[in-house]
Amino acid sequence: MEYIIAIFIGLLYACGVYLVLRRSIVKVILGVFVLSNATNLIIFLSGGITRGGAAFIPEGAETVDPATISDPLPQALILTAIVISLGISAYILALKYRYFDVTGTHDLDQLKNTDQR
Amino acid sequence: MILFALLLIPFTYLMLALLIKKAGIKKRLAILFSTLNLLWAMALVPIVQYREIIVVQMGGWSAPFGISLVADRFSVLMLLVTAFIFFLITVYATQSVDKARRKNGHFFFTFGILMGVNGSFMAGDLFNLYVWFEVMLMSSFILVSLGGERKQLEGSIKYLILNLISSLFFVAGIGLLYGKLGSLNLADLSQKMELARANLAVLNPALILIFVGFSIKAALFPFFFWLPASYHTPPPAVSALFAGLLTKVGIYSLIRFYTLFLYYDAGFWQQVVLWMGALSMVIGVIAASSQYDFRKILSFHIISQVGYVVIALGFFTEAALTAAIFFLVHNMLSKTNAFLVAGWVHREKGTLNLKVLGDMFKKSPVWGILFFISAFSLAGLPPLSGFFGKYLVLQSGIEAGYTGMAMLALFVGLFTLFSMVKIWLEVFWKKQPEDSAMEWPVNQKPAHWMLFSSLALGAAIVAMGVWAAPIAEYCQAAAQDLLNPSKYIEYVLGPS
Repeated sequence: MEYIIAIFIGLLYACGVYLVLRRSIVKVILGVFVLSNATNLIIFLSGGITRGGAAFIPEGAETVDPATISDPLPQALILTAIVISLGISAYILALKYRYFDVTGTHDLDQLKNTDQR
Repeated sequence: MILFALLLIPFTYLMLALLIKKAGIKKRLAILFSTLNLLWAMALVPIVQYREIIVVQMGGWSAPFGISLVADRFSVLMLLVTAFIFFLITVYATQSVDKARRKNGHFFFTFGILMGVNGSFMAGDLFNLYVWFEVMLMSSFILVSLGGERKQLEGSIKYLILNLISSLFFVAGIGLLYGKLGSLNLADLSQKMELARANLAVLNPALILIFVGFSIKAALFPFFFWLPASYHTPPPAVSALFAGLLTKVGIYSLIRFYTLFLYYDAGFWQQVVLWMGALSMVIGVIAASSQYDFRKILSFHIISQVGYVVIALGFFTEAALTAAIFFLVHNMLSKTNAFLVAGWVHREKGTLNLKVLGDMFKKSPVWGILFFISAFSLAGLPPLSGFFGKYLVLQSGIEAGYTGMAMLALFVGLFTLFSMVKIWLEVFWKKQPEDSAMEWPVNQKPAHWMLFSSLALGAAIVAMGVWAAPIAEYCQAAAQDLLNPSKYIEYVLGPS
């Protein structure tokens, strides 16, 4: 299972990087979303995947075999990361909308006015 | 509670600002709360001198499980300088930022930045550090674009996307590190790395990801492109705040991270850090000398000055870390003040293009002298803070055997002087070219609070030069703590 998810994360990263390198701003933003989801999956995978194991220690048990329970912390971290990226996604889309309102363009090359010349 | 208050003060302001509609009351409250924050940060200095490392466990959960807030001497110094700069910029913004922006939450988001910066300086937990980074970044994203002018929007898209990517690097690194070591507490991680000394190569992917994340935030050499593309677009009070605080948080985290983790594998990381620092120093200063915009020159100099701190970190001796901390403080003060003067010029003339400006010294000698103080402190002239900062860096470099690196720093100083003299001549000294003098309504509104902020910062720069010895002594004590991570571990996790 780990292998499949690892390959899937790799694919997501590849898609994300490809999108970030595009010229259209909307595609760059979509690329950032894909990258952030791939990153969340990395955290998920790093905690180790246990099939069917709950994150609880049974009542009265003195010792627990770590292989049978899953680690709840990575999922809590992902939850935080998802909330943060949700807020930022909403903001970046609003910003893009405003930018399109002002300039009427989707092209990243039009952004070079503020750059060093 | 002592540390928690530094988060509570900005948070209280945020809640109050949501309830209040009038711009005037928001302004007064902002000054009140930033004063409170400054007073609290000042009160921390004697406490940290007495207790050495202040540790607070949030929610009463003991160290590796709960979230700890930690402040050693280095953190407290950063908190104090942050509070000082933040207070002065808040006072400055009351007259520099226009009313529409103030009404739409300028102070709300600056306090968001303050909360994030305070939190990151105190975070004792890697994920907590990430969350504070995001608090700070989210507010800064909005501040960059607040106002919605075309160039602001352009700058903020670049700023936003590159900083998001840096956060992704950082959080992916955290995930991998947690997977390998099973902890997020900085002290606990450091202890576990000590135990895992033989297999450190396993951790390298995670460490490199986190390192790249911090380097983008700190605007180090190959990752600095977002900074000069965005820092000159928002109103001057905002870019002064960014220049003073944001990249410095990246540097702070880098120093903390290096002294707790990376030095275990010093053979590899020392070279990386040294070269990245040296290249930022050189590239930043050379790029700056070709610019013709007041704030763009200063923005490129941020990159160059960050390089000084990073090479001092790379030397990694007690003297070098002392120099790094001293230089960081000096840079925060001088750079902010240079931006404040740029804000005044912008207010008087409506432009910051060096070719169009001129005669500003005649207009107001006081502001001219204030620019002189901050610019020549950046360039490192003797009675000012920059001289001692550079002197300490060079001395520690030569003592540590990196004479070439020290000479390079000296050479970069020459270029810094060149750009500063260029601004001085073009903006303050030369006659304003008549054909390019554009029509700009003479600003009748008073600027005395702006002048007050800049004067206070100028006085701080001079004072830091005059009383360099006691400050360097404090920095040295901070450096000793940084070089002794077992002390940090013991204070956070309790005696083992």
